[in-house]
Amino acid sequence: MSGYGAVAMPPASRELSRKAAIIGVGETDYHEDYKAERTRPPGYEAPELENLLQKAFDRALADSGLSRDDIDGLSVSYTYGGPPPDEMAQQLGIKPRYAAVNGNIMAGPLPRVCAAIAAGEADVVAMMFGVASRSAGRQFGGTTFPPGQTGAPSSYYYYHPWGWSSQAAHWALMFSHYQHAYGAREEDLGAVARQVRDHATRNPNAVMQKPFTIEEYMASRYIVRPLHLFDICLVNDGAVCLIVSKAELARGGAKPPVLVAGWGESKVKGDKMEVMVRQRLRPVIEEAGSQALTMADVSPSDIGHFEGYDASSIHLVNQVEGYGFTGAGEGLDFCKAGSMDVGGRLPTNTSGGNLSGAYMQGWSQVAEVVRQLRGEAGARQIAGLQASMSSLAQTDQAHPIIYVRGE
Amino acid sequence: MAEKRPDRTLGGPHSEFWDWCAKGELRLQRCSSCGQLSWPPVESCQHCGNGSLSWERMSGEGKVASWCTFERDYYRGVLPIPWDCILVELAEGPMFLSNPHGFTWQEVEIGMPVTLAFVECEDSSGVFNLPVFARE
Repeated sequence: MSGYGAVAMPPASRELSRKAAIIGVGETDYHEDYKAERTRPPGYEAPELENLLQKAFDRALADSGLSRDDIDGLSVSYTYGGPPPDEMAQQLGIKPRYAAVNGNIMAGPLPRVCAAIAAGEADVVAMMFGVASRSAGRQFGGTTFPPGQTGAPSSYYYYHPWGWSSQAAHWALMFSHYQHAYGAREEDLGAVARQVRDHATRNPNAVMQKPFTIEEYMASRYIVRPLHLFDICLVNDGAVCLIVSKAELARGGAKPPVLVAGWGESKVKGDKMEVMVRQRLRPVIEEAGSQALTMADVSPSDIGHFEGYDASSIHLVNQVEGYGFTGAGEGLDFCKAGSMDVGGRLPTNTSGGNLSGAYMQGWSQVAEVVRQLRGEAGARQIAGLQASMSSLAQTDQAHPIIYVRGE
Repeated sequence: MAEKRPDRTLGGPHSEFWDWCAKGELRLQRCSSCGQLSWPPVESCQHCGNGSLSWERMSGEGKVASWCTFERDYYRGVLPIPWDCILVELAEGPMFLSNPHGFTWQEVEIGMPVTLAFVECEDSSGVFNLPVFARE
């Protein structure tokens, strides 16, 4: 089923592994656009979604070395709506034989496009994502989701009479329990937010590039106790374009293709609060991770880079632990030992993630995977990288994708 | 005087839940097929999908499983800030998101036993009984 809600992945299967490759990426100017929105210089106008999408596409096309005529597929994904495929194609000047509306977050869209390419529906697909949430005045929390609205997990709106709402509140419940279970302190979690910010200082396009100390983290205001401001992701406007090609056509290009090797998908069954808070989604993340590793035919030790969905610092820890990169309850020590830093065992969210880089609902993490596997990540480049994993994980589901460097 | 609260979800099984609260009873739906409890209210069992459910009265006993405190005013003045919430593991199993009654987050210990209480509240649909939890 297609649409602007979250879309499911095609089932993980060995036959679909390495059949398609990302050959072009384009992102908008997150840092400059955010700064302009905050300072509102004279004559400032909020960016139009169409302009953001155009910029991302132009950059991805130039990056791929292809021309418009080479593109025969289009996939559009928007968080709060956007141009339908026919209008988008007309604006971009392409004539796709495959055109799909592919949800929003980076969960289903890329695997679906890989499956479409494997099925011969297209050879080269432009995947468009755009979100203009900040300039739309989007607030997460409160009565954002009215009763009965489809697509929103029940936990997002059901508990209004108890005054409980917002994504942040989910992560806060998780961390309170984590503190109790493993004796963790707030400053231990601060190490994760600080590490991701440290990566952002090496990314000129990251929204937030000013480093902070653990003392500054502890002094920052709380959003939902026990979580501080720095534990919660950004809200910013932007667009991402990925150009995805049939693997055979991607060989021998100017830049190494990034092959999509595996993916997985799992959702909470039963009592969501139990699985989310007390198990921190561990069974869900494990199951999805296992599907992706089997499909890609790699082991966790082969993966040298991780791009997790850090809607909150604690949720990044859930994923690093859940996929088996470190043991349950060991994620904060793993981070404090430098294992999530470039040069460590598993450099994590190297462009600054959602906490400090950009909140593109998982799409900017895929762009960073491509840069890292190509060796184009500059001051934050991981040496000798062969395989990366990205992971979109919400409060009730997980969607990892594994990528390998091609020739 | 009834405390102001953001709006409840009403209709179908949701209204039935609040009707039981009005009688001073916390009742959740138990599935006649798999025997498990569902929460929040459902049209069919959240575990097995069976549609045959009956409202079962909870003992009102539980333990604090987690907590959080809102320092940001998401409800724009409806509730005072800071605002405390606790997640209670009911003796019967389900996790029940609620508020501490007569204590604050500084006094919360995970695992502490709590017991059901009701406070009179009001939203745009009228006055209702809200299930909260006090220290034993």
